[in-house]
Amino acid sequence: MQFLESILQALASLKANKLRSILTLIGVIIGVMTVIAVASIIAGMNRYVADQLAQLGPTTFFIDKWGIITSEDEWFKAMKRKELTLEDMAAVRDYCENCEKVGAMAQTMGRVKYGSQYVTDVEIHGATGNIEEITSVVAEHGYYPTDYDNEHRNQVALIGWAVADKLFPGLDPIGKRINFLGHTFTVVGVAKKMGSFLGQSQDNFVAIPITTYQKLYQKQRFDWFAIFIKSQDYQSMEKAKDEVRLILRARRHVPYKEDDDFGIQSSESLMDLWRNFTGTAFLVMIGVSSIALLVGGVVIMNIMFVSVKERTKEIGIRKAMGARKRNILWQFLVEATTISLVGGIIGIIVGAVIGKIVDLTTPLPATIELWSVIAGILVAGGIGLFFGIYPAMKAARLDPVEALRYE
Amino acid sequence: MNLDGIVIKTENIWKIYELGAERIPAVQGIDLEVRRGEYVAIMGPSGSGKSTLMNLIGCLDTPTSGIYYLNQKLVSQMNDDDLAAIRNREIGFVFQTFNLLPRATALHNVELPLIYSGAKAEERIEKAKGALRMVDLEDRMSHKPNELSGGQRQRVAIARALVNSPSILLADEPTGNLDTATGNEIMKLFDRLHKQGNTVILITHELDIAKYADRIIHIRDGKIEREEIIGN
Repeated sequence: MQFLESILQALASLKANKLRSILTLIGVIIGVMTVIAVASIIAGMNRYVADQLAQLGPTTFFIDKWGIITSEDEWFKAMKRKELTLEDMAAVRDYCENCEKVGAMAQTMGRVKYGSQYVTDVEIHGATGNIEEITSVVAEHGYYPTDYDNEHRNQVALIGWAVADKLFPGLDPIGKRINFLGHTFTVVGVAKKMGSFLGQSQDNFVAIPITTYQKLYQKQRFDWFAIFIKSQDYQSMEKAKDEVRLILRARRHVPYKEDDDFGIQSSESLMDLWRNFTGTAFLVMIGVSSIALLVGGVVIMNIMFVSVKERTKEIGIRKAMGARKRNILWQFLVEATTISLVGGIIGIIVGAVIGKIVDLTTPLPATIELWSVIAGILVAGGIGLFFGIYPAMKAARLDPVEALRYE
Repeated sequence: MNLDGIVIKTENIWKIYELGAERIPAVQGIDLEVRRGEYVAIMGPSGSGKSTLMNLIGCLDTPTSGIYYLNQKLVSQMNDDDLAAIRNREIGFVFQTFNLLPRATALHNVELPLIYSGAKAEERIEKAKGALRMVDLEDRMSHKPNELSGGQRQRVAIARALVNSPSILLADEPTGNLDTATGNEIMKLFDRLHKQGNTVILITHELDIAKYADRIIHIRDGKIEREEIIGN
């Protein structure tokens, strides 16, 4: 009863002074809102990235000369390294026992034309015939350029879903002749739709035999080359990585004690990198929300002092009627906690709305995390209790005679 | 000590306030005895120490020295929380300025002492309604203080004082904020409550009001000046 009364009292005083209430609660609102919004966005990003990386497959990894670059220095170093080659790939294929499938892919960018239609910024993949089995690029119609096409350096191409959609609306692309970077190719397949990753369409590509790619394009632009390896299972992947390192270090004459002049990346290592990044974002969030909550707490403490002062007479009356110290203490603690919780709930709602807006307007599947809602409520309640305790103690300690005399 | 039938018994109680280096003795060794069912007025001019005496009798404050038994309990040595419990069970306060909670209804105001004595909701509402019936305000129980007249407010306060069946009704200038006619009505209500067996202690500076009591104790300079028995 006394509990309910204190809650109602707190809600009534919030309602009576709307502007003051908003100012009082803004710190707690911002603090909790930040937690909810950032947690939901990060959770959405994690889910999204994990989904995308899963396309690479848990037992697949690739090697390029770049590795994971986190500074300008590393970039300059990587720039000077020798490219990996098809011969490197052949060596890995021949000597790595734990490597089940070994392929390679090169990549550049270009404009793809069909008649007067064209698509810009298309990724041009040169790939070995087995890349379809190693990565998640799958032909929906027709086929992926095969080993046979590679042997004969055929000018055939599988086109991404988005390229097919733009160049051949309502037409069957198979057998049509398209042109890019000065050469003509026959379309032999259309890939299954893959969607987008971090706002980048995954379907805006053409894939041709890597031998054709090297013959026609290597000399002018050779943006990226990677060896793709699929191991038998998760356990053998680590062994496969070790074997590949030994083979490549030997072939590339990397001296003992020197670092690798290439990088091995798997969905796991990319996920680790991602987690590092989101971990930093998380820390920033905790920093921002802590400051907001601290300010919010101090404001609540201040407003509780005002409330105690304003209601000195009431405290006197209650004491005369037999209220003990703890009754008064609880009354004001419940009031402070209620005020803070109202801020917390508003913060959760605003944070959830922000998360939802991000979910609807960006490719990130931002979802409200239950733990963040619980944390928001607990933190808001805790702030009310912590910053309410001093004013409440002051109220509880008031002398009844003095309090009754107060006007 | 035989305290049968005695509600209030003080022996040489003193209250000395210290303002910096100055010591102000507001109550200077008062011996007082009030029997169950008595109607006593404590009268004195302002500054006589009657308010301080009321605070001591009402257990809102503790004496600097001396002994005070309230309903056979030694209250002069009690701590704050025990005093709160005593105020809750033994004393019904009626103040000059009514001292109702402005945002609460008449019924809720009357319920207040019962909340602190831990009564269940049903019992509380029943008792509070009963107390409001006793002061003829049952039909106003859902009104807030600002929707009531001064006399009605004081009757709500009296109902609140009665609701926990205290040992004493302690009224501090209960007519001070009322016009004469309404004041007389309130005094008649006290009369009636006294006749029903309640012990009433009235603090006042007005002789007309004090004369409603059976006995007047005159206070001056923190001491009992004289006692006067009224043959009503």
